Order: sequence, then structure tokens, then C-alpha cells
Amino acid sequence: MLMPAIVWFIIFLYKPMYGLQIAFKDYSIFRGVADSPWTGFEHFETLFSNDQFIRAFWNTIKISALNLLFGFPAPIILALMFNEVINATYKKTAQTIVYLPHFISSVIIAGIVITAFSPSVGIVNTVLGWLGIDPIYFLTKPEWFRPIFVGTGIWQEAGFGSIVFLAAIAGVNPSLYESAVVDGASRWQMMWRITIPSILPTIIIMLIIRIGNVMEVSFELIILLYQPATYETADVVNTFVYRQGLQSGRYDFAAAAGLFNAVVAFVLVMVANTLSRRYSRTSLW
Amino acid sequence: MLNWNLYSRGDKVFAIVVSILIGMFTIATLYPFIYIAAVSFSSGFAAQAGKVVLTPIELTTEAYKYILVQPEFWISYRNTFIYTIGGTIMSLLFIVPAAYALSRPQLMGRRFFNLFIAFTMWFNAGLIPFYLNMRDLNLLDSMFGIILAFAVNAFNIILLRNFFESIPQSFEEAARMDGANDFQVLWKVFVPLSKPAIATITLFCIVARWNGFFWAMVLLQSEEKIPLQVFLRHTLATLSDDDEFAITQLEAAYSAETVTAAIIVCSIIPVLLVYPWIQKYFEKGILLGGVKE
Amino acid sequence: MSSVTLSGVEKYYGELRVVHGINLIIELQEFVVLVGPSGCGKSTTLRMIAGLEEISEGTINIENRVVNRVAPKDRDVAMVFQNYALYPHLKVFENIAFGLRIRKEPKEHIEKTVREVSEILGLTPYLDRRPAELSGGQRQRVAMGRAIVRHPKVFLFDEPLSNLDAKLRTQMRAEIKRLHNRLGVTSVYVTHDQVEAMTLADRIVVMNDGIIEQVGTPMELFNNPANMFVAGFIGSPPMNQLDGVITTSATGLHATVGDTSIALPALDNVKAGQAVVVGIRPEHISMSSVDGLSPVPISLDLVEPLGSEALLHATVNGQALIIKAETHGEISHLHQVAEIYAPVDLIKVFDAETGKVLNSAARQS
Repeated sequence: MLMPAIVWFIIFLYKPMYGLQIAFKDYSIFRGVADSPWTGFEHFETLFSNDQFIRAFWNTIKISALNLLFGFPAPIILALMFNEVINATYKKTAQTIVYLPHFISSVIIAGIVITAFSPSVGIVNTVLGWLGIDPIYFLTKPEWFRPIFVGTGIWQEAGFGSIVFLAAIAGVNPSLYESAVVDGASRWQMMWRITIPSILPTIIIMLIIRIGNVMEVSFELIILLYQPATYETADVVNTFVYRQGLQSGRYDFAAAAGLFNAVVAFVLVMVANTLSRRYSRTSLW
Repeated sequence: MLNWNLYSRGDKVFAIVVSILIGMFTIATLYPFIYIAAVSFSSGFAAQAGKVVLTPIELTTEAYKYILVQPEFWISYRNTFIYTIGGTIMSLLFIVPAAYALSRPQLMGRRFFNLFIAFTMWFNAGLIPFYLNMRDLNLLDSMFGIILAFAVNAFNIILLRNFFESIPQSFEEAARMDGANDFQVLWKVFVPLSKPAIATITLFCIVARWNGFFWAMVLLQSEEKIPLQVFLRHTLATLSDDDEFAITQLEAAYSAETVTAAIIVCSIIPVLLVYPWIQKYFEKGILLGGVKE
Repeated sequence: MSSVTLSGVEKYYGELRVVHGINLIIELQEFVVLVGPSGCGKSTTLRMIAGLEEISEGTINIENRVVNRVAPKDRDVAMVFQNYALYPHLKVFENIAFGLRIRKEPKEHIEKTVREVSEILGLTPYLDRRPAELSGGQRQRVAMGRAIVRHPKVFLFDEPLSNLDAKLRTQMRAEIKRLHNRLGVTSVYVTHDQVEAMTLADRIVVMNDGIIEQVGTPMELFNNPANMFVAGFIGSPPMNQLDGVITTSATGLHATVGDTSIALPALDNVKAGQAVVVGIRPEHISMSSVDGLSPVPISLDLVEPLGSEALLHATVNGQALIIKAETHGEISHLHQVAEIYAPVDLIKVFDAETGKVLNSAARQS
């Protein structure tokens, strides 16, 4: 019963790994993967002297860092706040709504962002207009790309991300709170002295996972939102690979960039898993 | 625990402030959807003038009429259903038996196979080798290719495997005593016992298929094969790259923006329809496989 | 001055009424135990005193202040929970200090009080440990320490010993009693274990189905149960209850149980033919003849030796009867028992319909 899946993995995931050798070859469509001549590390040398690639690499790190700084605490704060809401119906309704954007495709998210930030139609510029500010062409301004991208990420994922933390909070022994109530703790004090220490293991594990995924920025959304004018801040390794490989046909060169990304990501994931194993005794997988 | 009448004054203030903040975040989450819906029902002129804030201005359904007569829209909508249903069935056909096999302690080489599958979560070859592989397999511009090539992922297998592992061994032993073979044990014992987990995975598959766009965009060339998301992407591209559309339609009842908004609404509606069902399962699903194992 | 007063206290969960109008006055320094089967409303009552549950009807007074709408922290009560509610991330010292830290007491005061309390409870060597590194009994002590440091007006205990094994429970029970004698703080203690109730309480409150069945000292409840429920709850094993019918004769009042007649104490409020329940404690049953009593034939089906005593499971005309007998180190003679004697003055008679006791002795006390 395992065989169909194993065959699938070989054909669709392991065979491409074999195909990765083109990163060290002068790949030609007509010769195929196996018969193209070896070139050693030539593509990598080109890569590391390519300003666009270096820029894409640092953009990946920077966008991930911003995601970590703002996007990581958001669901925790949201979960802590949900925990304080007394009216069950209000809470349930709010949760239902904030989980929703997670299920919306990146194309639609991009459509909403493009419409909302459009200079003529967009609500953002309409509001700025009320304040007497001239329309800003947000999506063509490199300095605006990252705030918009990270903000969109929070809008889309903070609610859904809070589920894990809410579950952790629900796992806290209720009599800890009752005992604290009798001892005279306020809700605020309980949040800091009971809830947060109790869910700290979950927070740390989630943080480790995030660090492991630093190289994985949601490039689908970037492809939909960026334009040549914003490449300066928006172009990440995966979008670079996409342009070089799939749009310009430099397969071997792009595969080298992709391989570099995958190796960095792999190392990060392994480090993260080791950390988590040390911290929580259970590894992530 | 949360007894409002027994709250101290400070706690009441805190609870109210938090409720207001939650309310604000909720509204901020909801607002873009309302705004898009409002734009889709506004006239192109009103939208262009940036008049739409909360409700439709110069109420019209022209944008919808413009889309609904386009055959490409309907074709892509139909294709999305094909990819979603076909893909989900394909996924389950691979995932359920594989997860069952991996959950059996008596499986030969279990450690190896687990590692074999999990490794793909940590390392993958990347866009280019995957694309070239699809070309070598002659699966470019193939609907079947899309359905097959994205059928399996390690995460779902592991999630379901973990669930199967949590089912007491005695269930299987009892079934074997009664003379059941592997398939019967899976189909008559494990599948009925794992309905919530299988429902969760089905939902993950459905959502992923419905929303999938990147590879459909890269792999499919024929207009008659593209899913809704790619159709929407083409329209978006027209909107951001091609100002002509906007200018020529300036005086018209619809504009590129209202048309885009209308397509967005059409694409979200099915998601909203199944959302209550989704919500029932995803909280469980997240916790099922997520961080714990 | 009384310490805690409950007047007409009720609790509803939606339509469901779990506490039906409780009236109870708890005196200063008193140790009161609420006992009853699970679901009888005892814990809910305790949690209403603590302020963890709202009071649906009636009032609760703590030292002459109505606390219905007072937040738990302003009631000046401390509570020990069934699962101890120790903070797993805090060391023992910080667990005990928690309530004081929350109240922003001065550091030196916290240090001093926590040390004193740990000394009393023998926790000083463990102050740097976390709860996970403690034994059950030690955790129990930490939970008590956390209540004690606050010097509250009232201690509330919610089945604090139910997570301990039998041996430790006996030991901790004695410690709680000693602590109460030493500190003299009003205590309200909830348990389902009548032995705990008997050993700890100044007064026991027996609850059932949301109402109070009887309030009294342990010996009052044991000697003069007000009704069949209390009779069947207090004592181990509980009082035997035999269904019978009143008959009067020249030799006095009797109850007919099947074809056996049991002599009853004098009662002025019964008439012949009335259905009653005859209550006799297992330890009061005699196996040697008693002057003026006719024997009651039994059929013995099981002897359970307990050591110095044995429990004899028997039936009287098909109704179950348990007898507690001395063994004197030997049980073989107990297998031969075929008849018993029920001392008249120790028999309780209950109205079969209302379950209330008919003996006047109960009313005297």
C-alpha cells in the first residue's frame, strides 16, 4: 500500500533532485540532464558575482526578519487577547472572521491589495486624500513594498496562527487561574504570570520553526505584487530563480541559485530541529 | 471562570479594552472584503474617482455582466472544480494507504520509508529541476499532470500516520482475529475511526487545490485548461500593466477595477460557502499534526 | 461574631439548579466540612464562598460583609485546590510567595513570611525546587503554604487529599488538623470521604442533591442521624437499613421484617401497620444473646476478615445486612453465625416514606 506513494515521491520529488546536477552543467534542452557537459562551479561563481542575486538573497533575509519581528508576535498577542474576551458569541464570531483570510488564495489577496492601494480607485489613497495627502503609487515605490507585504502577511495569517497558541492556552490547568484569582491576581497579572510562562514552550517551538523557514518567503504573493520598479526591495531568491529560469530560460544558472537556497534552508531547518530537540525533548517531526 | 460580576474594576476595564481591540482587528480583517464587494457593485466611474469606501456607489451589476458573459471565466471556473475534485481524490488515493502502511509497526524498513518521505519536507530540488522533470514526463500543459504532480505531500501523510498510530493496536488485532486482510483493516476499521483526521486532510487538499495558482500558471499554456486563479491573475496583470483598459472604460459602467473586484467576489463565494464546514475541522487538524509530533 | 454566613444561597446553571437554598452559619475558628456524594453541590457552594462562581440567589456574608458582588481577591479567603494548582514554571518559594507578590507586599516581608511558613510545613529544604520535582505530599504542603502565607480570614479546601494515596492521605489529614489547631483560622473543607469529614470537622454539613441533609458534630451525626441519607453516608460500613412494618404487642413495639420480628425502642408517633426502615449500625449488632431479646435468624454468605475485626455479609429474609464483629485473632467461629441480636436502645427507626428518623433521641440533641 506504500508503493504508489513511494513511486510518486521518486518520480516527482527525488528525480528532480537528480536533475539538480544541471547546476554544475552547461545544460542544453536537446542533450538532456545526463548528457550535458560538466562545468563545475562556474554557475555558482557567476551567481555570487551577480548583484541581483546578492540583492535577492539579502532581501529574503530582510523580509523574513521583518516577518519574524512583526508577524511572529502578532498571533501570540491575538491569542492572549482572545483569551480575555468574556462573551463567548463575540469571541467565536471574531475568531471565525480572523481565520478566514488564511483560506483565500494569494492571487485574490494580491487582487485586494492592488485594488486597495491603487492610486485612483484605492481606499488607502482615498483616505489619504481626505487628509490632504496626494495619491501615492504605493506598489511602484520600493520603500513601501516591504511594509505592505509584511502587513498583508499579518492581515492574512495572524488570526489563523493564533489557533496554535489558543490551544496551548486552553491546555493550561484552569485551577491555576482560579488559585490566582483567590490570591488576588488581576487578569493582566495572570496573563503575564501564568498564561505566558505556560505557553512559553509553544512559543519557542513556533519561533524555531519560523527560523527554520527563513528562506521560505511566500514568493507566490511577491510574484503577484512586485514589478521591476520594486525589485530593489522585493526580489527574493525564489522570484529571482523564477525569472532567470522559467522566464528567461537560463535553467542551469537558475537551478544553481535554487540549489543554494535549498541548501541554506536545509541547514537552517536542521539547526532548528536540533535546537527544538534539545529544548523540548520531542523533535518537530 | 470568566464571571463578569465577580471581576474587579481593573479587570473590567482590561476586558473591555481587549474586546475593543479584538473588534478593531476583526473589522480590519473583514473590511477589505466588504470594500472589494462594494467596488464590484459600483460603477466604473465611481470606482475610478475613488468614491467607494463602504457601500457601492452608483449601484450596478455591469462588472458582473461583463465577466459572466466571458467564456474564459466559465471555462476557468469549471477547470478549478475539476482540479479541486480530481486532485483531492487523487491525493486521498495516495495518502491514506501510505499513511496506514507507515503507521504499522510490522512494516519492513519503516524507519527508512519515514525518513524517505520526511526528507522531502526539509529539502526539495526547487523550481527549475521540477519544471524540467515535468517537461521530460510530457506533463506540460496537461490537466492530468496538474492533478497527479501535486497529489502527495509529506506533511499530510505524516499527519494522518500520526493519527493512525494513535489508534490502539487492539482494533487491528481484533479485526485480524476476525479474518480481515490489510485492505479490510484499513477500509473497515481505520478509515471509519479516522473520519475527523481524513476530513481535515481532505479540507487541506481542497483548499490547496482551489487556491493553487503558481504551477498552473507555469505549466499550463492553453486557455481552455487554466483554473480560475490563473484567469484572475491574467486580469490582474491587465489591470496593473495596461492602463488603456482603464482609460477607454473611464466613462463606462464598469472598469478594470470593478471587473477585478467582481472576479474576486465570484472566486471567494465558494470558499465562503464551505467555510463553516472547513472551520469545524481545521482547528483539530492544525493540532493533530502540527507542532506536537 | 460569625465568620461565614450563607442565607438562602442558590446556584443555577441555566435552568439547572444545583444548590437549593443553603442556610449555614460558620463560627469563627470553626472547622466545617461539607460532605456528600459527587454532584451534591458541595464544591459549588465552596466556590461561591471563594467567589469563583456567582451566587444566583441569597447572600453570603464573610465577617459581616455581604460578598455576593465582591471580587475573590477582596474577600480575604485562601483556597487549596484538589490538584494543588501549583505553577509549574515557578519554584516552591515563588509558588508560596505568589499571592504576596501579586499584592505587591514589601520584599523583606515576603521573604520572612515565606520562610516562616515553609518552616511550619517542613518545606524549607525544597524551596528551590519546582513542583514537578516534589512528591505528592510535598506538593500538598506547598499548596497549603500558599494559602497560609496570606493570613486569610477563611481557608477553603476543595478535596485537597483526593489525589494522594491512602497512607499519605491519613498522614496529611492529621497535619491539616494540627495546622488548624495551631493557626485557628476558620476553615471550610469539601470532601466526599466521610472518614475525612469525621476526623477533621468540628461540625459536618452533609449535603445531597443541592440541599443540606444535616448539620452537626461528627458524633451527633453518627449517633443521631436525622434521616436515612445521613445514616447511610456516615459510618463505615454504613448503617444497615431493613424494611419492615410496625406491629404492637404486649411486649412492646416491634418491626416485622419478613417473618422475623425485631424489637424496637419506644416510639410515640407510630401506629401498627406503618412502613418503617429499621436502622442498626454493623458494629452495634451482637452475636451473643442479650437479655430479653429474641434472636434474629440470618443467613451468612461471606466473611471478610479485616484483622482485629471482620465484616459478615448476611441477609435477613432476603435483605442485606452487614455485621462488624471482633475476631480475637480467629475467624472460624464467625462462619457458624446463624442468628444475631439487635440491641433495642441502639436501633434507629426511620419513616419509610419521608426517610426521617422517628426516634425521639434525635430531637433531644
